[in-house]
Amino acid sequence: MKLRAGLLAAAFAMVAPAAMAQQGTLRVGMAAQDMGRLDPHFAVSTIDRVPMPWMFNGLVRFPPGSIDAAAIEPDLAERWETSADGRTWTFHLRRGVRFHGNYGELTADDVVFSLRKAANAQTSAFSADLRAIETVEAVDPYTVRIVLKENVPNLLGILTNYAGGFIVSRRAVEERGDGFNRAPIGTGPFALERVTPNQSAEFVANPAYFRGAPQIARISYRFIPSDASRDLAFQNRELDLNYGRSDQTWVNRVRQQQGVTVDVFEPAELAIINVNVTQPPFNDIRVRQALAMAVNRAELVRWRGQDTSREGQSLVPRGYLGFTADNGLLPHDLNRARALLAEAGYPNGLTVRVVHTQLPEMLAAMQVIQQQLRRAGITLDLQVVEHATFHQQIRQNLSPLVYYSAARFPIADIYLTQFYHSRSIVGTPTAVTNFSHCGMADAEIDAARVSTDRAEQLRLWATAQRKLVENVCGIPLIETLLVFARRDNVDYGYQLRGSLSLGPQITEASRLR
Amino acid sequence: MIWFVAKRLLAAVPTLLAVLTVVFIIVRIVPGDPALVILGDQATAEAAAALRTRLGLDQPMWVQYWTFVSNALTGNFGASLVTGRPILEEVGAVLPHTIDLTLASMVLGVVVGVPVGIWAALHRNRAIDVAARLLSLLGLSFPVFVSGIYLLLLFGLHWRLFPVIGNADLSDFGDRLHKVVLPAVALGLTMAAYITRVTRSAMLHSLGEDYIRTARAKGVPWRRVVWVHGLRNASLPVVTVVGLYVGILIGNSVLTEIVFNRPGLGKIIVGALNQRDYAMLQGLMVIYCFLIVVVNLVTDLLYGVMDPRVKQA
Repeated sequence: MKLRAGLLAAAFAMVAPAAMAQQGTLRVGMAAQDMGRLDPHFAVSTIDRVPMPWMFNGLVRFPPGSIDAAAIEPDLAERWETSADGRTWTFHLRRGVRFHGNYGELTADDVVFSLRKAANAQTSAFSADLRAIETVEAVDPYTVRIVLKENVPNLLGILTNYAGGFIVSRRAVEERGDGFNRAPIGTGPFALERVTPNQSAEFVANPAYFRGAPQIARISYRFIPSDASRDLAFQNRELDLNYGRSDQTWVNRVRQQQGVTVDVFEPAELAIINVNVTQPPFNDIRVRQALAMAVNRAELVRWRGQDTSREGQSLVPRGYLGFTADNGLLPHDLNRARALLAEAGYPNGLTVRVVHTQLPEMLAAMQVIQQQLRRAGITLDLQVVEHATFHQQIRQNLSPLVYYSAARFPIADIYLTQFYHSRSIVGTPTAVTNFSHCGMADAEIDAARVSTDRAEQLRLWATAQRKLVENVCGIPLIETLLVFARRDNVDYGYQLRGSLSLGPQITEASRLR
Repeated sequence: MIWFVAKRLLAAVPTLLAVLTVVFIIVRIVPGDPALVILGDQATAEAAAALRTRLGLDQPMWVQYWTFVSNALTGNFGASLVTGRPILEEVGAVLPHTIDLTLASMVLGVVVGVPVGIWAALHRNRAIDVAARLLSLLGLSFPVFVSGIYLLLLFGLHWRLFPVIGNADLSDFGDRLHKVVLPAVALGLTMAAYITRVTRSAMLHSLGEDYIRTARAKGVPWRRVVWVHGLRNASLPVVTVVGLYVGILIGNSVLTEIVFNRPGLGKIIVGALNQRDYAMLQGLMVIYCFLIVVVNLVTDLLYGVMDPRVKQA
């Protein structure tokens, strides 16, 4: 580890003049015990995702602070063109982009290797995202050609600085093997110096960064699982950035501190109750409708907080490309809910056994819903289990109702495919997270994915949402936004409205005042 | 002495094997899939299956058990399923922090608990005794996560004497000492409360014995009677409790580590359990078990030093 730090330092010393401008250590407090895997293609937890854009780039990127798919801009590729049928894409790489340490210049070979690695289930957790890619090849050292099996809603989206889109050094992966997970090499503004298990990860500025040397010299990314202790450390000025709680009381309390700003940003996690339409009593649509009408979204938002949450309006989060609020969502109506239950043969209400996690935030939300449903005569018998157990049991169809909260790449296709396409039904070989066993919108979801006509695509996604909502495959609850607190000495260099890495991007323009 | 130590260490081998077996079975009985934890919720079933194969989790149970035991016997505990880091490297990075905390808490517990217990016994049923008993009850009733937060608020935030983030630089003794104070107080006071009660009761028993009366009748100074004749005979139950409590301290350190942001074995074990990191859990159990065996051995050796009858037996 020391040797690697030495090599990094030596390599960076060669560009010392640029480093002169760097100053200070940005101290970030994260609600986690330790990092998991630092290979960007395995970075699935929040703690692992946050620093990925600090270390890596994609061919293209969301502008820092944004998750607007329409604003995607060049990153490692300086330009690109597509064939008339939209299935062949040619990317022209920037020249002179260098990997951290002594791993040399980025070439098309690294890009081809990275995308193939990301598309392989053996070497990536995001292989499903790149399923549509047929071939990736290097035309010359600075040109990459991608051929698709079929059209995808947004190829650029897949190639952004997010999930499977990150580009790694081929030589580093081949040299380090499994060790790449602990010592990754990218092209980003910061390089990993070391990870101290259960304590922190330390990053140093990459003065050779192709957009210019970062203004911050170091980032100390500290793992502090206790919310109370992390808040105290932030209050005590031992941290500059603090992972926040999506909770109004927390936001209000932190906002009262002097010299502190609370950033609330996208993507929102949409919480949904997924209803297994194949299991009694929910195979009767009247029972599902009663369930939907018993839920009071406005009350949930009042409980969670006006600044950090908003009502769910569809089975796709708001702001995602293809989202529509015009989908026949049932309003809150207790009388109608009770009447529907009686009509379905449950005049005295019913009791449902539901598996749920003990994670405090999710459990608290479910307890509020439990109370709401009780008013309509639906009693949830919550079987509270440890979180890993919850994830396993809901994939074994042990719970007819599954509370699930998630954010995805902001295009309707991803959410609809993973949660409501029959290919994703849990318990099947191609399972992802379809807990409702609904497949009634498969045709629209598939057709929208390959459509080259954007208007047609939007219409198909809208139809899919209407079918799924009207059939009560899931009940949208609330959308919860991300929260970070920062001391006013931190200037991101952009306005933080959204971040797909689930935390602030620290760029070459970020600085400590 | 050497033979005694060797015998005790050999006797620990079956205990370690039994613990290993139980842990191996329990972590696999508990529901939860490490592949899902590692790959996240967007992974396909195919990707999860591929990872299970890579990690060897699709092997028959007896093959996994044999691999684990044979590797463990050669000192190879493998790598964490989640981080991929060697387990001994992860443990080695945090073990000094756990030892610092355990030793500091134990010293504090003994240094405070024993004199207060003696003092209370010497002033039986008087104000001092009542105060000591009340304080020890309070110490036992206050959970570390409450006392820890109060200590941080007072000494960290209000008076700014100690940092809130307590991960010390291991190469800097001053920093280690500075950062162990608050957690050791939080953890050590509970131990002190317990030791106070045990010492008090052992001293009361000892002071009522015939040899104390004889010593006093022979004109031995009271101070000597208490500290030499009384305390030496009362120390056996105290040593037993301290020995037992060190094991508890190692286990209880998890909350202290979380509240004071200290790295340590307790924190790793909770993380490993949450993430279904079988390899890490198994490795940690062996190390925990070994530590407890060593502590018990030291306790037994101390018996011999304090009471010659034990050595003769």
